[in-house]
Amino acid sequence: MGTRLFTIWKRLRRSPMGLVGAFMLLSAIIVAIFAAQIAPYDPDEVVRVTIMDIYVIPNAEHPFGTDDAGKDVLTNFIYGARVSLIVGFFASFIAVGIGGTLGIVAGYMGGRVESVIMRFTDIMLVIPDLPLAVVLVALTKPSLTNIILVIGLLGWTGTARLVRSQTLSVKQRKFVVRAKAIGASDFHIIRRHILPSVLPLMVANTVLVISLAILNESVLAFIGLGDPTTLSWGQMLNFAFSRGAMSAGAWWAMLVPGLGIVWVVLACTLLGHGIEQVLNPRIEKHYLNKDQQLSRFEASSTPVTPVTISVEDTPQIDREVLLDVRGLSISYVSGNKPPARAVEDVSFTLHKGETLGLVGESGCGKSTLMLSLMRLLPPDGRITQGEVLFNGHDLLKLDEKQLNGLRWKDISMIFQGAMNAMNPVRSVGDQIAEAILLHTPITEPKELNARVDELLDLVGISPKRREDFPFQYSGGMRQRAMIAMALACDPQIVIADEPTTALDVMIQAQILDLLMSLKERLGLSIIFVTHDLGVIAELCDSVLVMYGGMMAEYATVDKIFNAPEHPYTQELLRAFPDISNFTQKLTAIPGYPPRLDALPAGCRFAPRCPKVFDKCHTHVPPLYTVNAQQHAGCHLLEVE
Amino acid sequence: MSANTPIIEVNDLQKTFVTGHTGLLGGHRTEIHAVDGVNLTIKQGEIVALVGESGCGKSTLALTLMGLEQPTGGQVLFQGNDVTYADKKTSRALRRQIQMIFQDPYESLNPVMTIGEIVAEPLVVHKLVKSRADRDAKVKQALESAGLKPAEQYMSRYPHELSGGQRQRVIIAGALILNPILLLADEPVSMLDVSIRAEILNLLADLRNTQGISMLYITHDLSTVAYIADRIAVMYLGRIVEIGASRDILENPQHPYTKALLSVVPVPNPRLRSTHTILEGETPNPVDLPPYCRFYSRCPMAQEQCKDVDPHLKPVADSHEVACIRIETKA
Repeated sequence: MGTRLFTIWKRLRRSPMGLVGAFMLLSAIIVAIFAAQIAPYDPDEVVRVTIMDIYVIPNAEHPFGTDDAGKDVLTNFIYGARVSLIVGFFASFIAVGIGGTLGIVAGYMGGRVESVIMRFTDIMLVIPDLPLAVVLVALTKPSLTNIILVIGLLGWTGTARLVRSQTLSVKQRKFVVRAKAIGASDFHIIRRHILPSVLPLMVANTVLVISLAILNESVLAFIGLGDPTTLSWGQMLNFAFSRGAMSAGAWWAMLVPGLGIVWVVLACTLLGHGIEQVLNPRIEKHYLNKDQQLSRFEASSTPVTPVTISVEDTPQIDREVLLDVRGLSISYVSGNKPPARAVEDVSFTLHKGETLGLVGESGCGKSTLMLSLMRLLPPDGRITQGEVLFNGHDLLKLDEKQLNGLRWKDISMIFQGAMNAMNPVRSVGDQIAEAILLHTPITEPKELNARVDELLDLVGISPKRREDFPFQYSGGMRQRAMIAMALACDPQIVIADEPTTALDVMIQAQILDLLMSLKERLGLSIIFVTHDLGVIAELCDSVLVMYGGMMAEYATVDKIFNAPEHPYTQELLRAFPDISNFTQKLTAIPGYPPRLDALPAGCRFAPRCPKVFDKCHTHVPPLYTVNAQQHAGCHLLEVE
Repeated sequence: MSANTPIIEVNDLQKTFVTGHTGLLGGHRTEIHAVDGVNLTIKQGEIVALVGESGCGKSTLALTLMGLEQPTGGQVLFQGNDVTYADKKTSRALRRQIQMIFQDPYESLNPVMTIGEIVAEPLVVHKLVKSRADRDAKVKQALESAGLKPAEQYMSRYPHELSGGQRQRVIIAGALILNPILLLADEPVSMLDVSIRAEILNLLADLRNTQGISMLYITHDLSTVAYIADRIAVMYLGRIVEIGASRDILENPQHPYTKALLSVVPVPNPRLRSTHTILEGETPNPVDLPPYCRFYSRCPMAQEQCKDVDPHLKPVADSHEVACIRIETKA
C-alpha cells in the first residue's frame, strides 16, 4: 500500500498543477506546525491594550496590522492555520473513512445491503449539510471536537458514492473472479484486491474533502458557532466582522484570514485534481521486457531504401487500380517522448473487386494504416511521408470538406465490436438511414425506409427488425447491421477491421460468407484486416503481412501460404493451428513484437528471427521483388 | 481410490439459473438450463477438450466443477468422492486440487500486486505459508514449471511489465503452486497473439506429460483442440452431443452439429478452400428447450422423426458416442 502511495507521488511529479497544489498545502502545514517559531508574538500573552493599539494599520511592528483586541493579526493568522488545518484533516479522515467503508461494503456486497446503504446515502445527500451542521453544533457544545465530528459525519456522502462505483467496476475485473476461484474469502478479496484499487481514488478524494471541511468550519465559525476558545481563520473573520472591522476600515483583519482560507482551498483543489489526473489509466503499453536491450532507431544511420511498386508488379495485373498507396509513413508524436513510428514505408495497390488481406500481430500498425486511408488518425498521428492515390487523386492533399465527400461514399468501414460502434439509444433503422443521408439527399420518408429495408434485406436481416435497438439484436445481427451501414452509400472500397474477431466460429462463417457474396454482387473491393491467417486464406486474393509497422511480405494468397519468403511469414504459419494438418507440432515465435517508440536499428524482426545474421542488426532491409506476385523485405533475398 | 478411478466424474449434471423478478403485481420467472444433463469423465493425465459456441454452457460447467456455482441436479465425483453439495470447508479444500486458468491474461492479474505476490496468493488464501523462505521457494518452483526462468527475474515485477504470453504463464504458475491434479483452462489462448498461442498450448501439454495433470480445455476454437486434447466433447445447448477420441472426432465426425462446426473452421491454406455447412441463425437461448432433439431447429439433416425423441449419447464406435437418432449406433 505504501508503494502505491509512492507511485502516486512519483506520477504527481508529472502534473504541474498537482505539484503547485502540493507545494501550497505543504507550506500551510509547515506554517501550522512551526507556528510557535514563526509567529512574532505569543497569542496568549496578556498585554495592556489602549485604544491606540486597536485596528492598527499594517506597519513594521505588525506587518498585518492588529485586530479589535490589539493583537497581532499575523500571529493570529499563523496560529489560526493550526486550528483550520486540524479541523480540515480530522474531519476529512472521518468523512472519507465512513464514506470509503460504506462505499466498499455497498459495492462489494451488492443486493439488499447495497440498497439500504445507498438509499441512506441518497437521503443524507438530499439534506443540505450546512443547515444541519448549524443545528447539530448549536445543540451540542461548539467545541473543536464536536465541530470536527459534525463536519466529518455529514461529509461522507460524496465519497461513499464515488468509492461504491469504483468498487463495482473493480469487482467485475477478472482478477477478482480469479481470487474467488482460488478460494479466497471476501475479507481477503476486499483487503488485497478491492482496497488497493480504490485507495488512490480515496486519497484524491480526501484532499478535496479537506478543503470542504475547512470551508464548512469557516462558515460555522463566521456565524458564531465556532469554538470560542480557539482561534481559527473562520473565527478571526467572525470577530473582525462582528466587532466593527468594516466600519473601522480595518480591511486587513478580514483579508488576511480570508486569503488563508482561499490559499488552502485552492491548494487542495489543485492537488486533488492533480492526483486524479495522474491516476487516469495510461494509454501507453508497457509490455517491454526490462532486460531486453533496445537501441533507439536513428533515422539518419540507416536510410530506408524507398521502393515503389508499379502496377505491373502487383498480384492482379489486368484490373483497374482503385487505391494506390506509395511509401506511406505514419508516426505518433506526443509530448517530448520519441515518436512512435507506427507505419513505415508501406506501399500496396488495391484493384477493383480485389480482396486484400492485411495481417499482423497487435501493434504492427495495421489499424493505423487503415485509419490513415480515411484520414481518421487520432490527433497525435502524423503522416510523414507518402501518397495515397484513390482513382488517381492523392487523398493526403484533400481538404476536410473534400474528404467528407469521400468518406463513407467511396471508402467505408466495418468496425470490430459492433456494439460499441453503434449508438445504443437509436434504432438500427435510424442509424442506417443516417448513414444513407450523409451522401444521398432522400427527402421522402417512404423512399428512405424502402432503402433501409433494401439494405437490411441485403445483409440478411428481416426489415421487420428495422425499428429495433442494437441491444435487441444478437452479436451476429449487429455485425450485419454494421455491414448494412457500411454499404449505405454504395462505396467502392470497404475496410473491414477485424469484423469477426469477437464472434463464434459459426457466426464468423455466416458473416464471411455474407461479405463474399456481397463482394460478388456489388463488385466491392475489400481490405480485410485480421490476425487470423485462416480467414485470410479463405477469402483473400492478395495478402500484406506487416511486422513492427513495416511490410514483411506482400504477395498473392497462394504465394503467402505455399511459398512464403519472409521468415516472419514462415514462422507465423508454423505458429498457426491448422485443423487440416494437426499432426505437425506448433512452434511459437520466441520474444514479442517491438515497441514502436523503441525500434531495433536494423530489421525489426531481427530479435525474433531464426535466420538472423549480422547485417540484419544494422540495416533495414528494403522490399525485394521475388517475382511478379511476391515482394518481401528480408536481407536473405539480396543475393538472389 | 484405485488407479483407474477417474479424476472427475460428472453424472447427469444440471445447472438451472432462475432469473426474473417478483414485482408487486406478480413478476415473471425464467429458467435458463445452462447445463442440462451432462455426463463426463476425465482420467488421470488426460486432456479433454470441451467445444461449443458461446452460450452452450461450457463455462458454467467449469464453474460448477470449481464449486463456484452450485449444481441444481446430478452428481460430481472428485477422485471417487461425492462433492456435489459439499459444504464450504470441503469445497475450499477441494478447490485446492482443481485450479482454473482464465481467458484474459490482461485482466486476470491485479495490476498493483507483484508477480511474486500474485503467484503466492493461493498459498496465503489457504494458509499454507510456513515461512517466507518456504513461500519464495514454492513461488520460484511454480514460475519455473510455467516456463518463467529464471524465476527471480520475475518475482518483483508488475503485470504491466510482462507480455501477454508471460502473463498467461503467471496465471498458470498461480494455478500450479497448489499442486493441482485437475486444471480447468477456459479459452486460455484466445486473447493472445497468434505467434505466442503455440507456446502456451505446448506448455499445457508439457504439464500433462511431465506432471500428469489432467485438464479440461474449454474453447470454441476447434483448430487448437487437435494439438492438445486426447478426447473432444462437443456441447450444444447444455448437453454433450458428441464425444470421442480427438482423431475420431476431427476425421470422422458423426453428429450434424460437429460436422457443421468443423466445416466452418478456417483452414490456413487457400488451396483447401471448401464449402461450408453454415447453420442458419444463432444458438437459441437455453430457456424453453424442446422435449425432442434440441438441435432440430438448425439441423441440416432434420426429419420428422427427430421431433419424437430426445436423443441421448449412444456409442457408434469404441469410445465414440453421439446423440443423434439418424446415426447408426453400435449394436
